[in-house]
Amino acid sequence: MAGPKQAAKANSDVSGAVTTLWGSYLDQTPDRLKLIDAFLVFIMLSGIVQFVYCVLVTNFPFNAFLAGFSSCIGQFVLTASLRSQVNPENRSEFKDVSPERAFADFALGSIVLHFFVYNFLG
Amino acid sequence: MRFFTKAFASLLTLGLVGLSGLVSAKSSTGDSVLVVLDPSLKRENYSVFFSRLEQRGYQLTFRAPKDVAPAIMEYDVPMFSHIILFTPETKSYAQDITPQSLVSALEQGTNLLIALSDKQTPLSSLATEFSLILPPPGTPVISHHPFPRDAGVDLFTAATIPTGAAPMFSPAIPDVWYRGVSHALGSSPYLVPLLRAPAESFAADSTADGAGADALVDAAEKGGEGLWAGGAMGLVTGFQTNVGSRAVFTGSVDLFSNELAKKHLPLGGSGGHIGGAPGNNRWAQDVAGWLFQETLTLRIDNVTHHRAGEDFTPETYTINDDIVYEIQISKYDIRAETFVPYSDIPDLQLEFTMLDPHVRTALPAVPGKPGTYQVAFRAPDRHGVFKFLVNWRRTGWSYLHSSVTVPVVPPRHDGYPRFLSAAWPYYAGAASTSLGFVLFCALWLGGDVRGERKRGGKKVE
Repeated sequence: MAGPKQAAKANSDVSGAVTTLWGSYLDQTPDRLKLIDAFLVFIMLSGIVQFVYCVLVTNFPFNAFLAGFSSCIGQFVLTASLRSQVNPENRSEFKDVSPERAFADFALGSIVLHFFVYNFLG
Repeated sequence: MRFFTKAFASLLTLGLVGLSGLVSAKSSTGDSVLVVLDPSLKRENYSVFFSRLEQRGYQLTFRAPKDVAPAIMEYDVPMFSHIILFTPETKSYAQDITPQSLVSALEQGTNLLIALSDKQTPLSSLATEFSLILPPPGTPVISHHPFPRDAGVDLFTAATIPTGAAPMFSPAIPDVWYRGVSHALGSSPYLVPLLRAPAESFAADSTADGAGADALVDAAEKGGEGLWAGGAMGLVTGFQTNVGSRAVFTGSVDLFSNELAKKHLPLGGSGGHIGGAPGNNRWAQDVAGWLFQETLTLRIDNVTHHRAGEDFTPETYTINDDIVYEIQISKYDIRAETFVPYSDIPDLQLEFTMLDPHVRTALPAVPGKPGTYQVAFRAPDRHGVFKFLVNWRRTGWSYLHSSVTVPVVPPRHDGYPRFLSAAWPYYAGAASTSLGFVLFCALWLGGDVRGERKRGGKKVE
């Protein structure tokens, strides 16, 4: 087999793998988890934007940076843990935590997080 | 008969003076004038000068130097607003007239006119205190011009200073006759030259014709030192003190006499009206007007300051405040005999200073309001105790000095801006996270309870 043909095949392999992954994700993931994933992506983008601004432009109100950034990080962590607790495939690990209980924990933690964030934001 | 003589005399006075336009001008500080006249000088010889003063509204009181009454001060309070000392050769006075008492009268606002001569008197040592350098005794100022002459070399004409350089004089005064002594001007900035010696004059110890050659030779041998000569010398010099009172030192009493006032200028004389009447009268009256605080007399009426946009004066200012400062200045108007607002000071300056002037800015006149000068500026970024300082000193004019102390404090804890524009992305990030959380909860709770259903290709945001 020639080199370029192998590389092209490898490339098409990679792109094929990604397409398969994406299709399988869309097919097999429940809607709720997709909602959580969308929220996670949004939080991640928000955090990246704030971090890039702090590094490139100014970190002048540093407390504001810390508050905004940790708001994103904290919310990401809480949402990720909600996702792992609510995922039906993890049912065996979280026997005594119902999805409703997980959601309540998530909501309470988020509210406490936001309270601290707004206090620190100035 | 007396009435006719008096009327004729006043008509003659008016004719001689030439209707200078000042019919009655009273001083801004008072009308009482004490004239101390040396016994050897006759009052009638100076009648033109004195009667013109009386016409302008001054009350003249005459006395001799050795007279006990009227005293110039009683219990340390000056009894007269102005004192004229035509005592060029008097060496001993009554108890109340000493250099110290004259200076203390000056400190309390009395204006002085002091005549000097080539003899050493207590008043000549006083003149030295006013930064005037007198020539050695016995050296009157002489000039060998103008020529031809009909009198001795000690009588000559001196050109007056033009109005531009000396605003207290009316325009185009002819040359004045002068016979007396000169002096050199020291370096004090309070001196106001009123009459300068002509360039060809010098001080010498003899008035014989051809005199002075020895003095010139001696001085030239000494390298030019000790020679009082040239236009740098003053003949009549004024002095304005810090409190605003004015003193004039004149080297000649004859300058004010009738004889020189009526003597016609020589033909072919330098400047002035050739062969016409001299300027002695007008010049003397203008000097009296300046000395008695009629002309060039300013005062500060009011000083206000406030923040821009407000109209009350706060107790303290904050750093970086916008401050508006306003000052009202009026000038004594001779015709109105009162102070009227004056807007023509071109170079008034305000300093906002704490040890050093942090802000130094011009104070321009406000076009609509006469006499008001206003400036708006920003307080510096430094807290402390500042002064609004206006300190305006110009030769011949009254000094304007105003100092208002004001504290400038740093902002209070709630005086800082609430939201910083540099933190906008962080505010947006935190807010969007919160909003996203609320939206997520709404969608979660409002959506399907069971999340096992698989739906391909649909993304919920």
